[in-house]
Amino acid sequence: MKTLLSAVAAALVAGLMSTTAYAESLVLYTSQPNEDAQATVDAFEAANPGVEVEWVREGTTKIMAKLMAEIEAGNPVADVLLIADTVTMQRLKEGGHLLPYKSPEAAGYDAALYDADGAYYSTKMITTGIVYNTSAAMKPEGWQDLVKPEAKGLVTMPSPLTSGAALIHAETLAGIPGLGWDYYKALAENGATAAGGNGGVLKAVATGEKAYGMLVDFMAIREKAKGAPVEFVFPAEGVSAVTEPVGILNTAKNVDAAKKFVDFLLSEEGQKVAVKMGYIPARNGVALPEGYPARETIKVLPVDAAAAVKNSEADLKTFSGIFGTN
Amino acid sequence: MTRADEIARSRSASAPVEADAEGGSGLKLPEPPRRLLSRVRRFGPLRFFFGGGEAAESRPPQTAPAKLPGELTRTLRVQLPAMPYVTEDNSLKAMPPHGAGAGRAFRARKRRAASGGEPGWLLPFVLCAVLLLSVLPLARLAGAGVSGLVDGEAARLIFEPATFAALRNTLVTATGGMAVSLILGSLFAFAVALTDTRGKLTLSFAFMLPMMIPPQVTALAWVGMSGPASPLLKTLGLAPPLGSPQPLYSLSGIALLLGVQHAPLVFLALKAGLAASPRDGIEAARLAGAGPFRVFRDIVLPLATPGLIAGGAIAFVSGVGNFGIPAILGIPAGIETLPTLIFSRLASFGAATFGEIALISTLIAAISAGGLLVQQRALSGRDYRLIGHSGARAAFALGRLRIALEALLWAALALVLVAPLLALIASSLVPAYGVPVNFKTVSLSAYGEILFRQSITLTALKNSLFLASAAALGLLVVTVPAAYLLTRRKGVLANLVAILIEIPYALPGIVLAVAFILTFAARLPFVGVSLYGTIWIILAAYFSSFLAVSLKPVMSAFLQMDPSLEEAARLAGAGFSRRMRDVLLPLIAPAAGASVILVFLIAANELTVSALLWSAGTQTLGVAIFNLDDSGSSDLASALSVLVVLLVIALMTALEFFAKYLPEGVLPWRN
Repeated sequence: MKTLLSAVAAALVAGLMSTTAYAESLVLYTSQPNEDAQATVDAFEAANPGVEVEWVREGTTKIMAKLMAEIEAGNPVADVLLIADTVTMQRLKEGGHLLPYKSPEAAGYDAALYDADGAYYSTKMITTGIVYNTSAAMKPEGWQDLVKPEAKGLVTMPSPLTSGAALIHAETLAGIPGLGWDYYKALAENGATAAGGNGGVLKAVATGEKAYGMLVDFMAIREKAKGAPVEFVFPAEGVSAVTEPVGILNTAKNVDAAKKFVDFLLSEEGQKVAVKMGYIPARNGVALPEGYPARETIKVLPVDAAAAVKNSEADLKTFSGIFGTN
Repeated sequence: MTRADEIARSRSASAPVEADAEGGSGLKLPEPPRRLLSRVRRFGPLRFFFGGGEAAESRPPQTAPAKLPGELTRTLRVQLPAMPYVTEDNSLKAMPPHGAGAGRAFRARKRRAASGGEPGWLLPFVLCAVLLLSVLPLARLAGAGVSGLVDGEAARLIFEPATFAALRNTLVTATGGMAVSLILGSLFAFAVALTDTRGKLTLSFAFMLPMMIPPQVTALAWVGMSGPASPLLKTLGLAPPLGSPQPLYSLSGIALLLGVQHAPLVFLALKAGLAASPRDGIEAARLAGAGPFRVFRDIVLPLATPGLIAGGAIAFVSGVGNFGIPAILGIPAGIETLPTLIFSRLASFGAATFGEIALISTLIAAISAGGLLVQQRALSGRDYRLIGHSGARAAFALGRLRIALEALLWAALALVLVAPLLALIASSLVPAYGVPVNFKTVSLSAYGEILFRQSITLTALKNSLFLASAAALGLLVVTVPAAYLLTRRKGVLANLVAILIEIPYALPGIVLAVAFILTFAARLPFVGVSLYGTIWIILAAYFSSFLAVSLKPVMSAFLQMDPSLEEAARLAGAGFSRRMRDVLLPLIAPAAGASVILVFLIAANELTVSALLWSAGTQTLGVAIFNLDDSGSSDLASALSVLVVLLVIALMTALEFFAKYLPEGVLPWRN
């Protein structure tokens, strides 16, 4: 009995120690895939010894829900957010949840890539294009190819209910003349599916369950380099883009470390880490990774951010209505 | 049966104690409440370990998911002769008021005298624990469900087509899963319990594995085994053409896997009952010229029916509450079941949906309760009094058919267990999706990434080990006193405690998780912090969820203990703590050890509860696997899954080595 009690006590103490240890560290909520999140954190910790980063990965929509629930419970855990899109960040800023911070690194960036008050900063360019399995019969070149009969039942895409990039993508295409929500309706009629995040799309296409998918660029290009049977296309009509902004929460317990984290991501060194993972860097004068066409050949479609902030909820409902998911 | 008889029986440990159906305990209760109680008492089945554990070999089929501690207490309780200095008091005791001041010592003395040397703190302690772990969260959930109904918004959401579709999918997959479980489980149970098949222990052990392996791992493994993606099929050159859908991403795929996952439940429910088939009856029938089929139909099948229905109902209820399988197979295909609907609602629309998820989980709870009621209705009134020797060892000698049956059993095991695990290993060894496994492509990089680079693995491992060991050891603090109390006491209060311990385990984990979110999202009184988002809320939910698992082996040990030992110590003047330390604890130590390992095993692999409750730094192994797969790193998810399966097999093997020190019926795969 005595040994049992001491074992319980030891276990409880270990648990307490581990929970108190978190307080001394920086907590990052991110939507990057696990490997990238880990590599980012490792690089940051190497550059800033003494700061320990705890991180959590979920799709942008889910990580936000988690954060909102925590804010509701009066117990927000995160210090820093690194999520897919500026629209979500803008909404957080309007809700008064972000801490303005003027990073000295901002000089290397286009003014369009960060918030004027310093509430959030874009860190990369992530475009959404078309991925296809190399054994697919048709080689798609534009968005319209996915509604052709050859692609019937062979198309998949991430769901905006999980992925922030997917929501921006849908809102971007919905605002383009000639595509719009009608394009999505046509996709649904052509048997396209929308579920889960980008990871699931990559899996379905690489493994041949589906032949075509809408996917973020880096995943496809990176996986191809590893030997997976996939190809990536920047469609002729243009691609949507998200910029993976980083922002500090105004409830952050560890503001100094959070500022260091933002500076690191924006610095030349941090941008090179992103390039090494296969992302298009946001900073001027940093070269694109292997496997990408030249920066100027990629046509990025515009998105009305203000409208997107207002309409997100309605757009989600519209999308769910078309694809019958919830 | 006279009282003297009863004492004589129970004193000789080897003699089977005959169960007295009702009473024999001197309980003086007005009829209606008592009937009601015995109905209610059978409500919560032990979905995990049933049967066994009692010394009653002459007992009819151990249909005992429904055999609850309270009942055992009544049937096996030993009545002490009325000694002058021991007052037997069978009147119902009111619950002592908490924190009573001056009168407490006196009342405690009185109670000690009354209940045979049980200390005054015991009952309040157990009651408090049960109130905290069971009553409070469930009451919160019921409250939120009701207020959700009253508040029109949530009620409107529950009538959305999506909710109805999820309800339909849940019922369809759970029913299909039940059918698969019944086929698989009864095949193995009949073979192991009634024929002369060889290698029964190995078969049972291997057949239990699917239940011990976390459902999301099962799902990942099967996905790796089928579809155009399968590294296994690609390697063998059997992969279907491009664009073939993954067949498992469908209602029937979910149903099939639920069936495989829960087949061991049917197996367990049946095996115990079949083992009690009357050998004399079968022999007599055979001598009278009845063929094996006739014997099977007229003797074995009627005895097996309660077990079949019980096992089927439990498989159904477990299917309704399963999260891991529909999450991995259903979400890519846009198929939602009620548990995944709760998860995605919580994950997509934020905390405003509390009322709604409370409603949905109340719906799951209602379906589960329906299943459990069906089960207990089927079992009530089926109490066979068997005469003569039971335990028909190899009632059916198969002769030449034996090889065929053994081949069939091993082939089934190869299909549901070995092939998926091979596929899982194959998926963990390829560098990217869609690459076949061969000497050129094979790489251990996924294991390297998991073990040496991903901090989430270490975090998850640390959390899971902490949660599992804290739950396993901490629960003993509650279950040892509770088991002592339930074996020594009887009456309404003991029965009620037994039921309340049972309910959180009988309810699907997702329901419990929602109940705990509702209970602990608000700040705690006095402390002013919220447990939500900390590891403690997961631990609290585990305490509640696994209380029944922890109790079962300890309870069995107390029941199989010869009560005269403690009696002698008590008459010699040893106080409660002394008796505990020197007499009781050494005797129940092996069972307590088994209880620790069993809880550890289940808790370390848990996903459903932690999927809703995790936060930064509190991910569990189950969450880590799910999250890795979700981010598109299924090679990493598979690698981590392989490690988890190895952990499960190691723990089960440890238990197997432990077997000879354990009371009957603690290890589900042994007879």
